[in-house]
Amino acid sequence: MPLLDIENLTVSFPQHEGVVQAVRGVSLSVAAGESVGIVGESGSGKSVTCMAVLRLLREPPARIAADKMELAGVNMLTASRAQLSASRGRVAAMVFQDPMTAFDPVFTIGHQIVETIRAHRKVSKSEARGEAANLLARVEIKTPEAILNSYPHQLSGGMLQRAMIAMALSCRPQILFADEPTTALDVTIQAQILQLIKDLQAEFGMGLIMVTHDLGVVAETVDRVVVMYGGRVMETAPVQDIFDAPAHPYTQALMASMPGRSAGKQRLVEIPGASPNPSNPPSGCPFHPRCAVAEARCAAQVPAFKSQSATRAAACWRLP
Amino acid sequence: MTPALELRNLCKTYHLRQSGGVFARHSDHLAVRDVSLILPKNQILGLVGESGSGKTTTGMMAMRLVEPSSGQILVGGYDITALGHAALKPFRRQMQVVFQDSYSALDPMMTLAQIVAEPLHIHGLGTAAEQAEQALDMLVKTGLDRSYGGRYPHELSGGQRQRVAIARALILRPAVLVADEPTSALDVSVKAQIINLLLDLQAEMGLSILFISHDLSVVRSLTDKVAVMFQGRIVEEAATETIFTDARHPYTRSLLQAIPVLNPRERRARRFLSRAEIEAATPRLSGYGVSTGKPELIQIAPDHRLEAILQ
Amino acid sequence: MIRYILGRIASIALTFTVVSVIVFLMMHAVPGGPFDGNDMPVSDAVKAKLNASLGLDQPLYVQYFKYMWGVLHFDFGIPFQSPGETTLQLLSRAWPPSLILGGAGVLIGAPLGILLGMAAALRRNSWIDYLASAFATLGLTIPVFVISMGLIMVFAVWLNWLPASGWGKPHAWILPITAYAAIPMATYARYTRSAMLDVLTKPFVTVLRAKGLSERRIIFQHVLRNAALPMVTVFLPMFIGTATGSIFVEAMFRVPGLGAYFVSSITLRDYSLEMALILMVTMMFCIAYLLSDIVYALLNPRIRVGGRS
Ligand SMILES: Nc1ncnc2c1ncn2[C@@H]1O[C@H](COP(=O)(O)OP(=O)(O)OP(=O)(O)O)[C@@H](O)[C@H]1O
Ligand SMILES: Nc1ncnc2c1ncn2[C@@H]1O[C@H](COP(=O)(O)OP(=O)(O)OP(=O)(O)O)[C@@H](O)[C@H]1O
Ligand SMILES: [Mg+2]
Ligand SMILES: [Mg+2]
Repeated sequence: MPLLDIENLTVSFPQHEGVVQAVRGVSLSVAAGESVGIVGESGSGKSVTCMAVLRLLREPPARIAADKMELAGVNMLTASRAQLSASRGRVAAMVFQDPMTAFDPVFTIGHQIVETIRAHRKVSKSEARGEAANLLARVEIKTPEAILNSYPHQLSGGMLQRAMIAMALSCRPQILFADEPTTALDVTIQAQILQLIKDLQAEFGMGLIMVTHDLGVVAETVDRVVVMYGGRVMETAPVQDIFDAPAHPYTQALMASMPGRSAGKQRLVEIPGASPNPSNPPSGCPFHPRCAVAEARCAAQVPAFKSQSATRAAACWRLP
Repeated sequence: MTPALELRNLCKTYHLRQSGGVFARHSDHLAVRDVSLILPKNQILGLVGESGSGKTTTGMMAMRLVEPSSGQILVGGYDITALGHAALKPFRRQMQVVFQDSYSALDPMMTLAQIVAEPLHIHGLGTAAEQAEQALDMLVKTGLDRSYGGRYPHELSGGQRQRVAIARALILRPAVLVADEPTSALDVSVKAQIINLLLDLQAEMGLSILFISHDLSVVRSLTDKVAVMFQGRIVEEAATETIFTDARHPYTRSLLQAIPVLNPRERRARRFLSRAEIEAATPRLSGYGVSTGKPELIQIAPDHRLEAILQ
Repeated sequence: MIRYILGRIASIALTFTVVSVIVFLMMHAVPGGPFDGNDMPVSDAVKAKLNASLGLDQPLYVQYFKYMWGVLHFDFGIPFQSPGETTLQLLSRAWPPSLILGGAGVLIGAPLGILLGMAAALRRNSWIDYLASAFATLGLTIPVFVISMGLIMVFAVWLNWLPASGWGKPHAWILPITAYAAIPMATYARYTRSAMLDVLTKPFVTVLRAKGLSERRIIFQHVLRNAALPMVTVFLPMFIGTATGSIFVEAMFRVPGLGAYFVSSITLRDYSLEMALILMVTMMFCIAYLLSDIVYALLNPRIRVGGRS
């Protein structure tokens, strides 16, 4: 049984100008020990998908519907408050995108990590503090005691990001939602954190959802990639296939626009046009207005999500 | 030619309180030590380095948003280090900054069009209608649909907010832009757009950019020169390709080594040097002058500075 | 911190001096003197003699320095309207009723307001939110003498449960305290609601939920603590404002408090008492603001431990 099993998830936010359809029919599953990367445009619904699974969106305004949304066997659509609190942090932990605003400004980092540990496990304060210090050391913080005693405003973005990763890992979650966990970090720390996450996965069989824009991070860490665009899944495939032979035109465009593929100061390949307006998405395939190979039917009808092989599937009219 | 921005021997010491309460002890933290940089007109200078190495502090000092403890800041040849608030105002228009943390930089009560138009409003440029029109154009330039003009920051994803911050900074057509990790929250395709946008603006209106980033791939496609910071100091500076192909400092090398591979097949376990190991591996050079026994920044080629110990 | 406090104390001393000079000058700039009233006709000669005996014939600056010299020795002079006692004795007789009623009003009204504001913020757009908002608006817009009158009508006249006025038996205090509590309660309800809503939309609250903390802990520990920050700064000044009495409430309930003297000292040109009252209130407000700022700094790590801006 997969650790996380989502079928046909939709999330919308009713607004004055119309309904923002952030997620439109996403299906996703993650097994224990598996790592899945979610990549895609800004605004394609990656964060909202993660937040919806943990029921962290304010409802209302958010409206969540799904055929199935199970986390370690618990139906998250109908879970009680107590069930939710028990799952969050313990079964599934989350590393948030913006470390600068993720901590309560009036408490120390130590307090906030300790309270997380003690929310799920019966340990003394000093034990929890000891664990917190160890965790900080593992995310390459050289002076854990000093950081435990610091307030968020005293630390740089990179420090906060690492502290947040330590906090998320503090209850040994079965699955980690890492929403851009390394954007605020320099490459050296990033490489170390990615290594740490991989080690922990191997050690505890932790599942991982890695939300990122950085295809390098994807190449380094995940087994399988889910490509999202306009609230829909465009393609899913093993990571090697995505890099070797992207099938969906959007994935192809994404790979082509990656910086750093060749030497020298240069303009990069852009995907022409702007992201779709989420409250008025294009008809048919959400990518068709920017797609180089779009046809008439792409605008008319949403392509079905079809398997190309046992491990690959994509939603494109041009694919078999 | 006078450089767009020149930093001379900038230092910044933060005075930290050790413990809370009324009788706090103080300690000093040297965040930036003796940084000298030249940003030539119409060029892009990358500033990379480990987290906490003082990149943001350096950028903020260049903008006079953080007061330097010592050193000088020259904008277009004018020393602005000691200018007061009023004298600084004309320079403020020429120097804009995009912050690392765009969420807190955007006023939650204003629409995106208002946010982007605000600098025009502050400097009294154009009628309200013109300002709004320019703002919408700028939003489109940064890859947001015009329909976003009426929306509010909290409705946006992280990357969308960053585009708004960039649109706001560029609307005054500044001469110098300090961009502090402006693309780190952006997805690859928008990142490409922003980089192309910055390149275009640089060509079109002679924009000079101090580009602070962790993302070495972006730095490689965007910058002319790269300065590498480590522990508050510049340890190496050279033309971008020199840095990527002929780096000499151990920290620069470990940084390059840590760039994620762009092919899953090349995944590898890495060994990371500790700070002490890096310090210990400081290059030793002879033939560049008198030995002081201490690391110093040495011009080893016309366009290459390296921190080394002279022998 | 200590330097900050010393600086603030110095600025309080300055404020105090400036206020005393201005008030003294304004007081004497108003035409007429204590013996010009029509109800006590005296001849000019007598008036001059009286003025001389009270030192009112001396140049203003002499009078000012004499008075302030006395103030430094806790001598606030003799109130003309009650010459049998010193100003200090009058204050210590008239202030306690105001302090008890106003103080109790704030101490009861503020917590109730906070609870109401919290409930409104947590159940946003529910009936309790609308009720709280309506209540807060009424509390701030209806004049306090109308509230007092309403209370007297309902509880004293119609229901006849409580005395309409008087001072002495504690059950006579209930109505005036209730009247006094209305404003702090309404003010606090509004402050709390908006401060809480502000905090509740902060991203860190989502992070706290994601960690699996109980909603109770999130609200009572994190949200309240953050929301309390802006609120502590209004508590003490409001306390002083209310605890120095209200002419309206005291007149309605015939409480022998301080409120009436604020007016009578002006109309009767009772210079000593007027100065004493204003200086006292000024001093208390200054101290209240200083204490609030210190408490704020102690609660706010950004100020307490400094660091990045
Ligand atoms: N609270 C909200 N109210 C209205 N719209 C929202 C809200 N939260 C998100 N959205 C919209 O939902 C869409 C998906 O947002 P989401 O944050 O999931 O994007 P993302 O894929 O994580 O992007 P990024 O990579 O930039 O973080 C966006 O168009 C966004 O504007
Ligand atoms: N206002 C401040 N008060 C005290 N210390 C500060 C302050 N601002 C920065 N520092 C410290 O100065 C050092 C340099 O910080 P800075 O933010 O410039 O680093 P950075 O290179 O931009 O890091 P990052 O890559 O994480 O953004 C850090 O050790 C930081 O903790
Ligand atoms: Mg996101
Ligand atoms: Mg920085």
